[in-house]
Amino acid sequence: MPRVTLETLPDYARFLLAAAESAAGQFPVQRAVRLPGLDLTAHLDAGALADAMDQAFIGTNGDRLDSRQCHIFIGHPGIGDMPVPASWGDAHFTEHGFAQKLAEAGLRGHHFHDLDFWQIYDPGRRVGVQLMRSADAFPPWEQGAPLRAVLHWEYAARGMRLAHAGTLGIDGKGVLLAGAGGAGKSGTVVAGLLNGLDSVGDDYVLIDLENGVTARPLFSILKQDPKGFARLGLERRLGTDRPLNWQGKHTFHIDEIAPRPVPATLDIVMLMVPHIGDGEASSIVPMSRKDAMIALASSGIAQMPGERESGFRFFSDLTRLLPCYRLFLGTRPEEIAGTIADFLARAPDEAECDHAGP
Amino acid sequence: MRPAAAGLQSGVRNMPLSEVYAVASKDIVFESFDGEAVVLDLSNGKYFGFSDSGSKVWQALSSGVGTEALIRSAVGAAMVSADALEAFIARLVELGLLAPSGATPLPSSDDLPAALAAASEPLDVSVHDDLADLITVDPIHEVEEPLGWPAVKQVS
Repeated sequence: MPRVTLETLPDYARFLLAAAESAAGQFPVQRAVRLPGLDLTAHLDAGALADAMDQAFIGTNGDRLDSRQCHIFIGHPGIGDMPVPASWGDAHFTEHGFAQKLAEAGLRGHHFHDLDFWQIYDPGRRVGVQLMRSADAFPPWEQGAPLRAVLHWEYAARGMRLAHAGTLGIDGKGVLLAGAGGAGKSGTVVAGLLNGLDSVGDDYVLIDLENGVTARPLFSILKQDPKGFARLGLERRLGTDRPLNWQGKHTFHIDEIAPRPVPATLDIVMLMVPHIGDGEASSIVPMSRKDAMIALASSGIAQMPGERESGFRFFSDLTRLLPCYRLFLGTRPEEIAGTIADFLARAPDEAECDHAGP
Repeated sequence: MRPAAAGLQSGVRNMPLSEVYAVASKDIVFESFDGEAVVLDLSNGKYFGFSDSGSKVWQALSSGVGTEALIRSAVGAAMVSADALEAFIARLVELGLLAPSGATPLPSSDDLPAALAAASEPLDVSVHDDLADLITVDPIHEVEEPLGWPAVKQVS
């Protein structure tokens, strides 16, 4: 079993890309997905990841963004001459050092040690490889947001960003919901969708700052833990017969609960950081941009391999463009949605004011 | 993400102050938001949020203002005593954000005394490092759930 060190990493990454491209004709299936500004073709094996490629994305039909072609080879040693994935050697490993070494070679990458799961991407040629020990040897989160890291690298290279944030909107105008896992983003998004608001995602959305702050959808799968699923009335609406995901959560598609087709874009006019409130009614109060930036960027940057400094600068620019608020969540989904909708409807004029609440 | 306790007690509190400091490495990057500083250590993914007085001090020190000039600027600032300033600088060094520099100390800006006097919060830096580098092994987060993993390999 070969072992990779920081010194041999660039060569190993190039080797994987070359091996995948050499085996291109031997990948059993292809899956094409049209994303904002990106026509992505995955070459892979039949099975769970191919199914995920079919189900986990929100395809776009026409977009103002210039579209580019991208090819990703999702392989394992059972396909052509794809190699057995190497392990990391007995050398100090840091995400930052790993990413820096690859960036010096014009590449991006990530390695999940437990499974020797490699993702390497060449943003110059828009070619990537995901190498696994076998067809099903991928981390469990990969099915919910397949190729998330690749999309992060591709969009970052073009000055855009995957933000770890939820969204809600009305009439094309939206709010970005930021915060770490468990802060209430997903529950807030579901509450909004069930009560007539739009969303382009509850977990990862594509942001660009070309003309203000624009959010676009990428992934279609929403998640709720059983408690939230019941509280939001989703047991009645969607049933409980589907298997829970690896986190013990219910998963469902945004179009199962959205009031209308997912919009192609939302013009983001404010940043909100949800908190579990201690009252029945929701309230919205201003917060400092410093605190909002930390809420938005810390999980967003840390969850994305590489591109740390560019992400820090990007989220700093984003935060400076938006008024920032804390959203203290009430107990009733319709009231939460109504509070956000009312606040959005008054933006930008009253959103710039010092205080707002029910 | 919970901020870590950010008291100013420091194991290097009694170290003599350098005449001037500089940002400790190229991995320390920072931005200012309405006068409040946020610092990111790229090497480990830790974030640092500064209070209003802390932000002024960070901005002065990171731009090469000399320690003596800074202490003089803080005379009369209710939130920035000389002792607190000394401890705060030691804390920034301990956190790996600042390092003593051999550069020529710069004078403080004319408006720094007024800015420090106007500060309403004590010198403080909060550390946001709950997940930092660990989380990159679980891109879909919620590593706070007690699942027993991910186990990132950190061989030294």
